[in-house]
Amino acid sequence: MNYFTISSLLIFITSVVIGLVIFIKGKNRSLSRVWLLFCLAVAIWGIGGYNISICSSKVKAIHWWRISTCGIILIPVFYYHFVNILIESKNKNFLRFVYILTSLFIGICFLKEDFIGELRFVFDQFYWPYWWGRKSVLFLFFFLFYYGFLLLFTFYKLTYLYFSSSGFKRNQFKYFIIGSLVGWIGGESNFLPTFGLNFYPVFNIFIAIYTGIFAYAIVKYRLMDITVAITRTSIFIAVYSLVLGIPFFLAFGWQESLQRVIGDKWWLAPLITSTVLATAGPFIYLYIQRRAENALFQEQKRYQSTLRQASIGMGRIKDLNRLVNLIVHIVTRTVRLEHSIIYLYDKNSGDFSYAASRSRQVRFHPQQVINGKSFLVKYLSQWHNPILYDEIKQRTQDYGDRTLAHLEQELHDLEASLVIPSFIEDKLQSLIVLGEKVSRKPFTNDDLDVFTILANQSALAIENALFYDDMKQTHEQLFKAEKMATIGTMADGLSHQINNRLHALGFIAGDVLDTISLKRDLPMSEELREVFVDVEHALTRIQDNVTKGGEIVRGLLKYTRKGEEGFTAVELDKLIDAAIEMTQFKIKAGAMTVIREYGNEIPKIKGNFTQLQEVFFNLIDNAFDAMAQRRAELQEEGFKSIIKVNAKYEGGKFIDITVTDNGIGIKDDDKNKLFTPFFTTKVSSKKGTGLGLYVIRKLIEENHGGKVYYVSKYGEGTVAHIKLEAIT
Amino acid sequence: MSKLLVVDDEIDIREFAKNFFKKRGIDVFTASGGEEAFEIATNEAPDLILMDVRMEDITGVDVLKKLRDNGSDVKVIMVTGVEDDSTIREAESLGILGYVHKPLVLDELQKIVLKELENLS
Repeated sequence: MNYFTISSLLIFITSVVIGLVIFIKGKNRSLSRVWLLFCLAVAIWGIGGYNISICSSKVKAIHWWRISTCGIILIPVFYYHFVNILIESKNKNFLRFVYILTSLFIGICFLKEDFIGELRFVFDQFYWPYWWGRKSVLFLFFFLFYYGFLLLFTFYKLTYLYFSSSGFKRNQFKYFIIGSLVGWIGGESNFLPTFGLNFYPVFNIFIAIYTGIFAYAIVKYRLMDITVAITRTSIFIAVYSLVLGIPFFLAFGWQESLQRVIGDKWWLAPLITSTVLATAGPFIYLYIQRRAENALFQEQKRYQSTLRQASIGMGRIKDLNRLVNLIVHIVTRTVRLEHSIIYLYDKNSGDFSYAASRSRQVRFHPQQVINGKSFLVKYLSQWHNPILYDEIKQRTQDYGDRTLAHLEQELHDLEASLVIPSFIEDKLQSLIVLGEKVSRKPFTNDDLDVFTILANQSALAIENALFYDDMKQTHEQLFKAEKMATIGTMADGLSHQINNRLHALGFIAGDVLDTISLKRDLPMSEELREVFVDVEHALTRIQDNVTKGGEIVRGLLKYTRKGEEGFTAVELDKLIDAAIEMTQFKIKAGAMTVIREYGNEIPKIKGNFTQLQEVFFNLIDNAFDAMAQRRAELQEEGFKSIIKVNAKYEGGKFIDITVTDNGIGIKDDDKNKLFTPFFTTKVSSKKGTGLGLYVIRKLIEENHGGKVYYVSKYGEGTVAHIKLEAIT
Repeated sequence: MSKLLVVDDEIDIREFAKNFFKKRGIDVFTASGGEEAFEIATNEAPDLILMDVRMEDITGVDVLKKLRDNGSDVKVIMVTGVEDDSTIREAESLGILGYVHKPLVLDELQKIVLKELENLS
């Protein structure tokens, strides 16, 4: 029983356990199969080494060395195969060659006695091969090829991939590289006695550590930053060798001196020291660790604290737009990311719509909407945790899961490296999509923690801003309603008064005009006749203005009054009939075609017939004017005025009705003024009051709870969209 | 000679309406309110009444109602301003020839009135 015995046994146990565990977990079939083979090869070396270290006769030792050599031959082969799968290499020929060569060597190992060479008793403990005894060329070739070329070649491939990877993969490769280094120090150093250098196989234990590091990198998705891992391990070893070492030295090294000073109860000294040190140990460990990590992660800690502070400050911002812009700005700037985007839940559609983004690239076109039924949203709603793209990608590869593959695709399309959800009372409220770090470093667990805090704080701030917006809107609406009520009552009396003035004015002008026309033929001087003509013209203008004024007054009144008739079931077809009938005074039959594209399946509309008739009359009237204007302005040959009325009902509350014309269309500049009262673009001869659309909107949106909007292209035509409640 | 009664609380309307129809040889009476209108309607028995709906102290519909209550079947044209549908429907139910909107175009009014009065003679 010696150090070599223990280290070999440890190698055997760890490799068998780790090999089996990963094989059974079986994420990536081919990878874990090769991994198991690799572990078994290591285990052969382990069990062989164990037996070598305890056997007393040279004959037995030769027997066990032969078995162990099989392991020694196989370890680099499976290692190479493993890395080959890891880097997704397509070249299988070299692998095949290596396997053929390996089976040859295994055969040789058992058949040719001098392959291993002579055994000699070393370190007073066990038998070890001695190459100089037989100077086997085959063995030298084997050593140089397997433990020289193949290892360096594999190692080169790993490092090459490390530099071309990013994020999680990069970190994983780092683990494999460091693991490889550790393992090969253990492996190669064991060859030293073989070639005559009497160096005790003290690094044998590294082979056990090596499989451990590999296993960790395979199993875990969120790998600890390896610098942290190494720092922590070193500090741990240093602290505990002190904690355990001091009492140990007290007990064994200074036993005599202690006895001299303390007497019989000398053992109290190591006991008390070990108690004190064991208690203090964890604290010392944590203290040193924190100091070390502070030094290591200055940059990371700096931005983490910035983010924490920012997230606290966010609550004070009440303007939603400013807030979301600030969030992406802070995140992108402080963490130095390629980009970040924030999406907010949209109550109306159930989707998540783009709110703000920041990117280092000038041309950055983020996706505008994330579907509320997407895998991403479902996943986040279920798990409430941030999603790392690398992790999903790895898991998709490992498990071949269809859902994960969809999720991966969605993340890929979003250009997301990390998605952080934020919740208000278990309801997904916003998504922050982050791009890669500029440094290509992976996101650490600490990063995720800080982002989660940030996301939750921002959720509160966003909720706050939304609430504030909502309140402001309600307030404005109340104010408007109050104002309208006042205007409503006033408008009634006022319009009556104005109308009476207009009426009187019209009467006076009309009567004088009448008198003039009756006396036109009386003899009078040319000058006087001219005066009469001027007066007549002026009076006609007055009459025209009176008529227009009357229309305005009536138009204004239409929305101050709610329909008294109440709502009935209105048939769209009859509505269109009635509206067209109203236009007959103005539009000659045949001047335009109205095509009805809807079918019988359209349900009836819940509404006030008179008001809706007014609406559709206005829509058709407007369409006609637009088409007339196009005819006049564009002078196209063979132009036909066509109005198409269509309706769609796909379940739900509303029927979607469209009135499409091929008129002149609406200029972009005019689009946001459409519904403004007294705004008109109609040409002077048929000048409108500028109240048509205003009244339509009032009737549809305020009286009917519907919606009206326009889609138009200047020079091509206009589509009026009207949503009205269906009776089902 | 046909008799026309114009009921309106606006002095300008009364004056110019009278002027206008007089030129066409029509005997025009005017009334500024309900009482007066009722009195003239009873004493003079006009052939046609042009009745403003909304006046200072009374509505045209009320005057019309009172006339009908007293058994008068005089022909009435209502002159409406910005009244709502229900007022007009009430007037219609009391039996009127029709209604014209304020402000009106005299030419049209003339046609309507003359047509009615000619029908009488």
